[in-house]
Amino acid sequence: MTVAPERLQSAFPSGRVGVSADSIPYVLVPAEQILDTIQRCRDDLGYSRWIDLTAVDDLEAEPRFELQYLLYSMTEHRWLRIKTQTDERVASVTEVFAGANWYEREVYDLFGVEFDGHPNMTRIMMPDDWQGHPLRRDYPIGGEPVDFTVTRDMHTETENQDMRIEYTNTRNSREQRG
Amino acid sequence: MAIESQRKGDTLHINMGPSHPSTHGVLRLELDLDGEVVVACKPVIGYLHTGIEKTFEVKTYLHGLTLTDRMDYLNPMGNNLAYCLSIEKLFECEVPERATVGRVLLAELTRINSHLVFTGTAGFDLGASSVFLYCLREREKLLDLFEWLTGQRMMTSFIRPGGLASDFEPDWLKAVGEFLDEMPRHIDEYESLLTGNPLFKERMIGIGVLDADDAIRIGVSGPALRATGVAHDLRKTNPYIGYETYDFDAIIGENGDCYDRYKVRVAELREAVKISKQALARLPGGSVRTTNRKVMPPPREELGRSMEALIHHFKLFTEGIRPPAGEAYVPVESPRGELGFYIVSDGSGKPVRVHERAPTFANIQALPLMAEGGLVADLIAVIASMDPVLGEVDR
Amino acid sequence: MTMRTELPVAVPHGGHVRDANPGFLLGKLADWSREKSLWPATFGLACCAIEMMAASAASYDIARFGSEVFRGSPRQADLLIVSGRVSQKMAPVLREIYDQMPEPKWVIAMGDCASCGGVFNNYALVQGVDKLVPVDVYIPGCPPRPEALIDGILKLKADIGKGLR
Repeated sequence: MTVAPERLQSAFPSGRVGVSADSIPYVLVPAEQILDTIQRCRDDLGYSRWIDLTAVDDLEAEPRFELQYLLYSMTEHRWLRIKTQTDERVASVTEVFAGANWYEREVYDLFGVEFDGHPNMTRIMMPDDWQGHPLRRDYPIGGEPVDFTVTRDMHTETENQDMRIEYTNTRNSREQRG
Repeated sequence: MAIESQRKGDTLHINMGPSHPSTHGVLRLELDLDGEVVVACKPVIGYLHTGIEKTFEVKTYLHGLTLTDRMDYLNPMGNNLAYCLSIEKLFECEVPERATVGRVLLAELTRINSHLVFTGTAGFDLGASSVFLYCLREREKLLDLFEWLTGQRMMTSFIRPGGLASDFEPDWLKAVGEFLDEMPRHIDEYESLLTGNPLFKERMIGIGVLDADDAIRIGVSGPALRATGVAHDLRKTNPYIGYETYDFDAIIGENGDCYDRYKVRVAELREAVKISKQALARLPGGSVRTTNRKVMPPPREELGRSMEALIHHFKLFTEGIRPPAGEAYVPVESPRGELGFYIVSDGSGKPVRVHERAPTFANIQALPLMAEGGLVADLIAVIASMDPVLGEVDR
Repeated sequence: MTMRTELPVAVPHGGHVRDANPGFLLGKLADWSREKSLWPATFGLACCAIEMMAASAASYDIARFGSEVFRGSPRQADLLIVSGRVSQKMAPVLREIYDQMPEPKWVIAMGDCASCGGVFNNYALVQGVDKLVPVDVYIPGCPPRPEALIDGILKLKADIGKGLR
């Protein structure tokens, strides 16, 4: 998989290129360039098929949300991951890929990232009057307390972080992932 | 076939669902009707949002495996498989041959299970209620087999990271062989009820046509994409668990209408039987669990003899497995399309983020393109032919 | 476990009121007919709905117990089988469907998610439909076997036939 990353780097000189553990190459671009990047991936590089958009929240990183776009090339049978990082908003890519519509609404609903230029920026999973964005790391898991179980608000005193049982896993993950 | 709208006044804005007999779950459609013609169709989802992706983050990877069954609940072992493939990619873990072939067998049996429900409900929604009974009769035999092997009819959680939960019994393999031998005859039965049926054809041919370019832009996958003429099957283009070594066809349609989607799925039913028979025939000996002790616990007999085995067992059952930091997405071809779990790990026992790329989430976005301009009755046929499962749409 | 006690007439039970004493034979006839012809409303939500479909199919066949038709409209049904997980967005819909059903009506919470929230103890689900509607029978399982559903329905029918619900 060495061909694609070189081609990517020359196509996006300001982006950071790499390969994930699943052999899918990625390019990390600044948030202002995302619409242009996606457009060029579709038109110039041949990644014409929309697959996925999601976000990963890292409380201790700046900026906080990392958006992961996934495209597919019908001719080369390969995926491409485009990443961008933002705190609040990013341009919508619905003009380039119609399939991004609901994915962007989902990221807005569950993470709070707004997409400028989206035809219908409303909640999709939660009720329209819901407060908060559930998939953020500082949003509690919710639910009800269950008696006699080692879950809510009980922490075992131990140095090993993994043994601590807590609502949400708020580790600093982005640097560790590389 | 779009019908000319003879609008003389306002359209009727009506709501269909979320509790509706024909929406295949809690899908809500806001329709603008001009008489019987659908002028606009807007799907509204979120009525089954279960917060599964957030729940993954507070559970270990093995606990999270049980959640994956409940997303696309007609394809539970397929979900398990996609999840385990992503985890194993992070570990770069060796899975024994017997487990790999066994996974192919189970994935194809699950595909048969899902397509039987499709055939039954597609007929049922259009009024052919007896097909439903026939299809579920065979499905009961399949569920009995699953229960024999795994202990559960549906939510099996049988495909584990590193292999399978337990080994196959020879009697079970024989029973599966008998089931597969009699399946082609039953598929002929369903086809005799539906495929040549003039009423069925009248309601499905030329209805809900989806254009191939639209399908690709939207991210439609699976039989809905193949029915439009696009030759894309992940088992052929990006094979996993050894699919490149099996002899089967990827079924491609032509017109992209409801009838083609139906025909693609029925043909896939036959192909799934074919692949399962091949997997059954070539099932090698050996273990179904990997020897990588960071992924799967050692067999219980070893615990009395080996200190290391005891330590591995302890660590795995207290902390859970700890995939190396990174991200992985390994999609599989589910009965509905491209299904994959995007797992982000930071090296600890709990994932940072697990996101399911659900095929129906993208497929339903194409619903307005197929339904607008048709009749309400055609809308029912379109939904039935897309085979949505709302559990994976809303997660 | 059901409580087999003699209940006085016009007892409020779980929110709905049984008709005041219509006379012994007529009351018995009403109970008998309600028990023998219990029509569920289609309220399949998630995985449990698939097992409910299997229960209505040929192998398990709840039609032989009187539940021949699943009514599409709640106004024509007397039993609400909540089969599946009820999310925050779906909760008002469930309540509205329940309110649209005419008396006498009964509710079966099928599956773990409907009974108590099930595997999903989180922000998105209502932790048990008894927070929204009064439940007569809880059927545990994830999903419960069709036989478990039939068992629950039969227990409910036995109580209806005795005039206890």
